[in-house]
Amino acid sequence: MADNDRPDVSTDRRKYMAAVGAGIAAGVAGCSGGDGGDGGSTSSGDGSSDGSDGSGGSTSSDGGSGSQWDTQLEVLHGWAGGDGEAAVNALIDAFKKEYPDMPTKFQAVGASANVNLNATILRRMVNGNPMSSFANWPGKNLERYRGNLMDLEADVWESEGYKDVMQGRAVDLCNFNDKLPAVPLGSHRMNNLFYNIAAFEEAGVDPESLTDMPSLMDALDAIKSETDIAPMGQAMVAPWTVLQLWAQVLQSQAGVDAYMNFIEGNGDRQAIVDSLELVKEIQQNYITNDASTSSFTDMGGKMIAGEVACMHQGNWLAGQFRTDDSFNFGEHWDWIPFPGTDGTYGYHIDAIVAPANNPSKDETIAWQKFVGTTEAQVAFNNLKGSVPLRTDVDSSQLGDFIALTYEDLTSSERYPPTIAHGLAVTPEQMGNCKTAMSENMMGPYDVEAAADALLSAVSN
Amino acid sequence: MGTTDTTESTTPATEEVGWETKVRYFLNNDLVRSSPYWGIPFLLMGIAVYGGIGFNTAISLTDARGLQQPDYTNLDFEMYTQVFESSAFLSAAQNNLVLLVVFTTVCLLLGLFLAVLLDQGIRNENTVQTIYLLPMALSFVITAQVWLWLYNYDVGLMNIITRGIGIGPIDWIGNPSIALGSVIFALIWQFSGYTMVVYLAGLRSLPNDQFEAARVDGASTLTTYLKIIIPQLKEASVSAAVVLMVFALKAFTFLYSLTGRYRPPNGTDILATLMVRQAFKLGKWAYSAAIATYLLILALGVIAPYLYYQYRQGSL
Repeated sequence: MADNDRPDVSTDRRKYMAAVGAGIAAGVAGCSGGDGGDGGSTSSGDGSSDGSDGSGGSTSSDGGSGSQWDTQLEVLHGWAGGDGEAAVNALIDAFKKEYPDMPTKFQAVGASANVNLNATILRRMVNGNPMSSFANWPGKNLERYRGNLMDLEADVWESEGYKDVMQGRAVDLCNFNDKLPAVPLGSHRMNNLFYNIAAFEEAGVDPESLTDMPSLMDALDAIKSETDIAPMGQAMVAPWTVLQLWAQVLQSQAGVDAYMNFIEGNGDRQAIVDSLELVKEIQQNYITNDASTSSFTDMGGKMIAGEVACMHQGNWLAGQFRTDDSFNFGEHWDWIPFPGTDGTYGYHIDAIVAPANNPSKDETIAWQKFVGTTEAQVAFNNLKGSVPLRTDVDSSQLGDFIALTYEDLTSSERYPPTIAHGLAVTPEQMGNCKTAMSENMMGPYDVEAAADALLSAVSN
Repeated sequence: MGTTDTTESTTPATEEVGWETKVRYFLNNDLVRSSPYWGIPFLLMGIAVYGGIGFNTAISLTDARGLQQPDYTNLDFEMYTQVFESSAFLSAAQNNLVLLVVFTTVCLLLGLFLAVLLDQGIRNENTVQTIYLLPMALSFVITAQVWLWLYNYDVGLMNIITRGIGIGPIDWIGNPSIALGSVIFALIWQFSGYTMVVYLAGLRSLPNDQFEAARVDGASTLTTYLKIIIPQLKEASVSAAVVLMVFALKAFTFLYSLTGRYRPPNGTDILATLMVRQAFKLGKWAYSAAIATYLLILALGVIAPYLYYQYRQGSL
C-alpha cells in the first residue's frame, strides 16, 4: 500500500547503467579469455603460462643452463583433499626433486568420484587440447578414450623393464586396444570388512568365525539384538556402494567364477538373484536409517564414533581411520577379508594415463617412467593407503596396514577386477549397472528387476 | 533519421559517384552509425545463445560420441527417436514438468500470502522481509548440503518435527516417491522469499485509496483482496513465474550438490541431470544434444504463454 504523496525514491539510473556496463565488460573479458575451452574449476590462466614457457625463461630459474625440458608437463588428477591430496603431493615432491628443471603443472580437479576430473579430461580431449597425462582407472574404463591414447610400450614399459617388475595382471589391465597407455600407481583392495573391535566384543562376535555369508548374517543379527549399535554401515547417497557390496556378496556366495562370468556377460541369473536377496536383507535390516543421505565418509565417521559395528569398503577407508589419532589399527579397528572371500584380492588400480597427440612427449615419458619407480610408488601409496603394484618392493618400506595388504596383493589366489571402479566393465556398462542398483536396490526393492537390469547392462 | 535522409535525397540518382563517396554514404547511414549500440549486444546474444542453440541442434543430428569429431555428412533425427524411446528420458521429462509446475505454483501462492501478511504494517517489517529473502542469496551448493542435514533420517530437523507430531520418521531423500517432493520443498523454501518481494513491490504500488474505497463500500478484507488487489498483481505474477520457471530448469545445481555426482537421488532425475550424465560421463554428445533440444522445447513451451501475453499487451 503506497501513500501517494510519499516521494518516490527511484534507483539512480546512471549508477545502474554503469553497473550493467561493468557486468557486461566483465562477461566479455571472461568469455574471450578461455580460448582453449579449459574451464577447469580449480585453476585458470594455463594459456598464459604455456606462452611464457615457450620463450624458455620463466620457470627454470637455475641460470638457464640449457635445460632439456622445454615444454610444460601438465598432469590432471582428482586427489583434491584428505589422504589423496597428501599422497599426490608426496609423489609430486619426489618428482620435482628428481627433475628440478622441468616446468610442471599439477592440477587437482576435485569433486567426488572423479566426476569433474573425467568431464574435464573428456572435454579437453574432444576439443583437441589434451594434457600431458591424467589419473584414471585403467582396464575397461579406458574405453572412454579409445583411439586417443599414447602408446608408452617402447618408451616407458620396455625401456624401464616395467613388464618384469609390475604385477602381470596390472600390465594386462594397462593394456588397452593393443597399446600400453598407462602406468599403474597403486592398488586398493576391495574385499574388506572393517570392524569396530569394541562393538564386535560387546556383541560377542568373533571376527575369525566370519567365513561365509550365513555366518556374517548371524553376526549382524547378534549385533542387532545384543547392542544398540547399527550392525553395518552402508552409504547409499549414490549407488556405487550398493554395486560393490553386491559384487562381494556374489563372490562370497557363488564364487569368484560366478562374478567373472557375470562381468563377461554370461551371468547365472539365479546366483545373481540369490546374492541380491542377501544385499536387500542386509540393507533393509542391518544398516543405519540415514543411509540415503550419508556418504561413505559419513559412515566411516560413525564407525569411529562407535555407532556402526562394521562396514564393507575398499581399503581407502583405512585412510580415513588413519587421520583420527584416537582410532587406531589393531586397537580400535581391524579388518578381515569380506566373509567368504579369503584368498581373494578384489582388484582395484589407480593409474596415470597418457593421451595421444601429447603436448609434451619427452616430459610425459619422463613422468610416466617416474610413476613406475619404487620411490614413487612407496611415496604415494604409504599416504594413500593403497599398495604398490611393483612386485619387488621391500615391505619394510611400507606402513604396517599397507604392508599386510601388499603381502595379500602378491600372494592371493584370485584377483577379480572391481566392477564399481572401472576395471571390469566399460563406463557405459558401469553406468547401467549403477542405474540397475539405483532403481531397484535402494528402496523400494525389486530383486528380480535388478537382476534383469544387471544382466542386460553387461550383455552388450 | 533526419540528417542522412537529406544527404541521400540531395544526391541525384544518375550522378556517378566514386567508391569513396559511396563508403562515406554508407558509414553515415543511421544503421551503421548506431551499430556500436545495437551491434555488440546483438553479436554477443547471437553467438552465445543462438549460435549455441544452432550448434547444439547440428550436433544432435549427427551420431557424434566419444572423442571423434562430429561427422556432419549424414544428418538425421535418429537421436531424437532414440531419446524419446528411452524410459529414463520419459521419467526425467515427467519429473521436470512436475518440478516446474508444482514449484512455480506453490512459490507464487506462498509468496503472495507472505506479501499480504507483510503488507499489514507489522513491526520490524524490513527485518522480516530480509529474513524471508535471505535463502535466495545463498548458493545451491550450500542450501543442498543444509537440506541434506535437515532431511537426515536420524537426526534431521524434518524428522524431529514429524516424530513430534506423530507421523513418524520419513526417508525424505531415500524414498523415490517422496524424494522429488522433498527437493521441491527445499526449492520453495529458497525461492518463496523472492516471489514475496515481487508481490510486495506490487502491493506497495497500489494506492491506498482503493482499500479505503472498498472499505467504504462495505467490502470485506477477503473480497477486497480477491476482487480488487490480486487482479492488479497480474504483471508481478507473470514476471515472477517466468523467473521461477527458469530456476526450476536450473535445479541441476541443487541436485548435483545433493550427491556430489551427476546422478541425483533416485526419483529426482530431471532432463538437465540426465543430459549431463550422458554427455560428460559417457561422451554421448549427439544423444545428449537431442535431450538438450527437448529441454529447450519444454522451456519454450513454458515461456510461450508469457510471450503471447506480452504480445497481447503490445509489449512485443
